[in-house]
Amino acid sequence: MDIAAISGSINTVGYGISVIGAGIGVGIIFGLGMQAIARQPEARGPLQTNIYLGMALVEALAILGFVLAFAVN
Amino acid sequence: MSADVRILAAEPGCHLFGDNGCGFQAPTIKMFFPEPWFDGIPGSAGIDLYLVLLLVAVGAVLLLWSWFSKKLSLVPGRRQSVGEMLILFIRDNITRPTMGAKGDSFIPFLTAVFTLILAMNFTGLIPGMIPVNSNLAFTAMFALTIYVMTIVIGVRNQGGWGYFSNQLFPPGMPKIFYIIVTPIELLSVFLIRPATHALRLFATMFAGSLLLAVFAYGGWYMLNLTAEPMLAAVSVLFSGAALIGYVLFFLFEILIMLIQAFVFTLLASLYISQSLEAAH
Repeated sequence: MDIAAISGSINTVGYGISVIGAGIGVGIIFGLGMQAIARQPEARGPLQTNIYLGMALVEALAILGFVLAFAVN
Repeated sequence: MSADVRILAAEPGCHLFGDNGCGFQAPTIKMFFPEPWFDGIPGSAGIDLYLVLLLVAVGAVLLLWSWFSKKLSLVPGRRQSVGEMLILFIRDNITRPTMGAKGDSFIPFLTAVFTLILAMNFTGLIPGMIPVNSNLAFTAMFALTIYVMTIVIGVRNQGGWGYFSNQLFPPGMPKIFYIIVTPIELLSVFLIRPATHALRLFATMFAGSLLLAVFAYGGWYMLNLTAEPMLAAVSVLFSGAALIGYVLFFLFEILIMLIQAFVFTLLASLYISQSLEAAH
């Protein structure tokens, strides 16, 4: 008798794990970005650009996790 | 077990508290692979729902912009000023912060990209339809166009070797760091950047419409008016909760579609700006 058997796809669990890091990273990026804009509102343009660039880099991991969850059987 | 469930779910009238005892069949990714109506073209998935939705989206964008730009005048009327507002939005929020005044020549292109992506996302709001961008092929073509554009513009503005060396060997750091930085930059700029540019839009549209489908299927599954009166009342309650969830997530999905179209255009503008001039 299996005590802890998992049936179905565990890829979703992998996706959930891959999202943890990206979630923390995106949170830090936007949080500190908002703080920077609040401290220096006139620098909004370049700050916003860098926020989105950082988000694009960090979110890549979560997106790779999403794709691999469907691609790997 | 699972095969039995699939057979039962295929029968009509599979509801909660039903007497045939079939379970809830969640929507699968099969909903993103519609059956092609005409399947004879080599190297293609055939003519299916996506092509029709794409034509609808393109037609809507063409109609919208030809309507905006009809009878243009120096003092804009109401219709023209709405169109100009959209262009000013692209200029003030996307091209000016990333490229500065040099990017003004990209405003028409980026406005077209923004409105087309928005229309291709909004086809998912038609009941029973799917967003065109929930198919990777369409977003990949957008990202590939931007990718080729960034390389061509970069080579044109910084010279063939200049562009690649600026990307791979970012100036202003000790030479020894290039051992670590160059492979990372190579991977990130020329492989991960275009891939995630396409996949971000695809993944959010895919997951969003799957989420809406779960609420729609679940609401329909839980509605069972033929059960005993007490259970029927409970099923109506459950189904109503699913309907509220569907409406809330529908509104949320509209927001996501707007944000993703904006982010895609902003990142496109950002990538083009890095080709226009070297990072400093």
